Amino acid sequence: MSKDTKHLRPRDLGRDVAVLSPTDDLKPLPSTFDASLEPEFKEFKDEWAETYCASLDGFVAIDTLKRPETKEEEEEFVRKFLSGLEKLFQDSNKNAVQPLALNMEFCAKCNTCSEACHIYEESNGDEIYRPSFRVDVLRRIYKKHFTTAGKMLGGFVGADIELNWETIARLAELSYRCNLCRRCAQACPMGLDNGLAAREIRKIFSQEMGIAPKAIHEKGTELQLKVGSTTGMTTPAFVDTAEFIEEDIEERTGRSFKFPMDKEGADVLLIHNAGEFIAWPDNPAAFAILLDEAGVDWTLSSEMCAYDGVNYGAWYDDIQAKKIAAKQFEVAKKLGVKRIVMGECGHAHKAIAVSADRMFAAEDKVPVESFLPLMLTLVREGRLKFDPSKNNFPVTLHDPCNYVRQMGIVQPQREIIRACTTDFREMTPHGVDNYCCGGGSGFAIMNNQNFSDFRNHVSARKKLEQIINAFGEDFENPDVLKYVCAPCSNCKGTIRELLKDYKITAKYNVQYSGLVELMVNALVSMEKPFFEFLEE
Amino acid sequence: MASVASIFALLAVIGFLILSAAKFAKYSKFNQHSRFDLYPVPKEGNGRGEYGGSYMEEDLWWEKPRSINHVAELVDMGKEMFFIRKLFMNQPSLWVPSMLFHGGIYFMMLFSVLLLIAAFVASPVLETITTVVGVIGFCCALLGCLLLLIRRLTDASLAAYTTPIEYFNLILIAAVLITGIISWLSAANVFEVARSIVTFNFAELPGIVVLHLILLGIMMLYIPASKMGHYAGKFFTFHSVLWNNEPNLPGNAVNSAVKASNAAGATVKWSAPHASPAPAPAPEPIAEEA
Ligand code: SF4
Ligand code: SF4
Repeated sequence: MSKDTKHLRPRDLGRDVAVLSPTDDLKPLPSTFDASLEPEFKEFKDEWAETYCASLDGFVAIDTLKRPETKEEEEEFVRKFLSGLEKLFQDSNKNAVQPLALNMEFCAKCNTCSEACHIYEESNGDEIYRPSFRVDVLRRIYKKHFTTAGKMLGGFVGADIELNWETIARLAELSYRCNLCRRCAQACPMGLDNGLAAREIRKIFSQEMGIAPKAIHEKGTELQLKVGSTTGMTTPAFVDTAEFIEEDIEERTGRSFKFPMDKEGADVLLIHNAGEFIAWPDNPAAFAILLDEAGVDWTLSSEMCAYDGVNYGAWYDDIQAKKIAAKQFEVAKKLGVKRIVMGECGHAHKAIAVSADRMFAAEDKVPVESFLPLMLTLVREGRLKFDPSKNNFPVTLHDPCNYVRQMGIVQPQREIIRACTTDFREMTPHGVDNYCCGGGSGFAIMNNQNFSDFRNHVSARKKLEQIINAFGEDFENPDVLKYVCAPCSNCKGTIRELLKDYKITAKYNVQYSGLVELMVNALVSMEKPFFEFLEE
Repeated sequence: MASVASIFALLAVIGFLILSAAKFAKYSKFNQHSRFDLYPVPKEGNGRGEYGGSYMEEDLWWEKPRSINHVAELVDMGKEMFFIRKLFMNQPSLWVPSMLFHGGIYFMMLFSVLLLIAAFVASPVLETITTVVGVIGFCCALLGCLLLLIRRLTDASLAAYTTPIEYFNLILIAAVLITGIISWLSAANVFEVARSIVTFNFAELPGIVVLHLILLGIMMLYIPASKMGHYAGKFFTFHSVLWNNEPNLPGNAVNSAVKASNAAGATVKWSAPHASPAPAPAPEPIAEEA
């Protein structure tokens, strides 16, 4: 029971038990939700524990982290881990060594960051999910092996963690129990960033040891670099899909449009998360309708990596992140567009606009902006005309961490929503104080073994609670249609799973989608509703 | 012994300044890194600093002048430095002892400056003010220090993370404060001792004062070398990391630094298979001429 392990200490990470801290003590959801609808956890398979590291909390995130077969393999694993850890503090890690070194040296061990973390909170204070727990483990290992004080004084300065496969593997798993949402860093009186440090731990495993969840490496960045998109869509498949969407939307809504493709010298190169074309085709269609209606000179690209704005490297690996960003800038340069505008994908926003900002000389880049200020300009200039009564249902807004807390884009989306809806209800808290959807840092697309249970039950629990509470008494009433606006593909994917698995759409009539879909639905020029759930 | 202790205390103050500067220098070397902006960034102008907005809320932001509110940034820094605002907002129960402790230390620093002036300027008014400041400083710092120690020992969630050296840090400071209080209350006149030290006119001192001066010297040298030197760390975590959202644009300083950093490359390479550049594809075999 995790109730019994609430006071685990960082040096207990290697404790010889089958599961260090089982996740079995979760915070109850608000009473307006019928608790009996909470889905069951997947049945645990013993082979997972035999093959991977399931000994942290009973979940498996890293399906490439296999148990060693010999003592030599284990020793090599430990050696490589230490080599990667050392490289985090050398010029191989120039882009992050300062914040990491500051964290290693100056944490006051005050635990002020803990209460800010939704995972820690929703697990009712499970010690292993405390933002400072995993980083203190790293600190103790670092001290022991790479500082003079640690080598001389050992446990007196906290250099007290023995390394073996189980301990290191648990730390690797632990780095995938953090959404990298950086809410904890906002609370830290020292300005330390445990989210950033969790990503640094992931980097040791990926950049040095070649270990990362398949969904984000092999079927993520590697696939994108090979075929152009993490969806596996090649250029011809992408072009076909786009044409199919044009026809489908026209048939359904009566609105015709064309996706401009590879238009040289356009003002705007719009880059979507390619998952939208497959899972939510209404989203790129809505963008096309809005930009056409407003007379924007824009284009999509059908070139490798530029029809898919995702950059999973942002979650675990600087090397992969740089390769993908380089391709995206290269395409934009070649097309001669004035700017890159990112569609509704939070991590793609941050990856190219912020994380990649200092990877290349400015002359090798094209300026990047979010779709939000552009859309707001179109609304303010009267180039998009809305009839908000078409969206006459309660709407709540999820703030994607990547472009809200981590880029400071807070007000444009609110001004747009107020212009195109009649009943906007903020979540509590919201804006830069928002909570992660629970799918951040790769969790939204990691469904291996039982990891989706960690996302749906633990990391996304706070968001579910916020959604339920945002609608107040209306939540329980299925006659009131309610809408969660999630302007980010990853967040939308997570929320889709929540609403489905907890039967919230079916039982409580809560729908979800992005922001541009709401805008198109409210357009005066639209003759039919854009949302399928509004069709008769 | 008194003269040795006095000179040591004096040198320790100089050592404190040198070691603190070295700590700043150590972290300045790593100033060129990726962006890790985290909002709110208080310097963001047009009222954006207050709600956490940034220049990226503007369409075509790179073509527009940036609005930076230096006053708001200073005010925010002041609140954090002098009142530990984030701790107050997020963990008030720990803020009380921490504020007492840090506030006490600020008073002690003021006390030291006043003492230095009083060593040269004989003024009963100045001596009274110095005494009041010193009493407040000693009392608050010691009370805060002891409360922090008790909290750390009794709160299981803090104790789980606290290493022996972190208890030692608090005990060292408490020892300096306690010996100081005993010295100045019962053993010696603080103004006379200060005067004798700064004029290098060393007089005999009671044992407790000698002990206090030696502990004070050790503490001054130890602080910048330990994590108690977080005054330096905090400068970088905020200014160089969380609030550093300067974009990389043609002609600006960030761009020059990026180019220099890219040109310098890295001496240490990562080892995962994908970290090495893919080998160039083998050339197509050329058919042998018949
Ligand atoms: S709030 Fe900051 S200083 Fe305190 S434990 Fe967390 S990371 Fe460390
Ligand atoms: S970054 Fe987010 S998920 Fe990770 S520890 Fe901090 S608050 Fe928790």
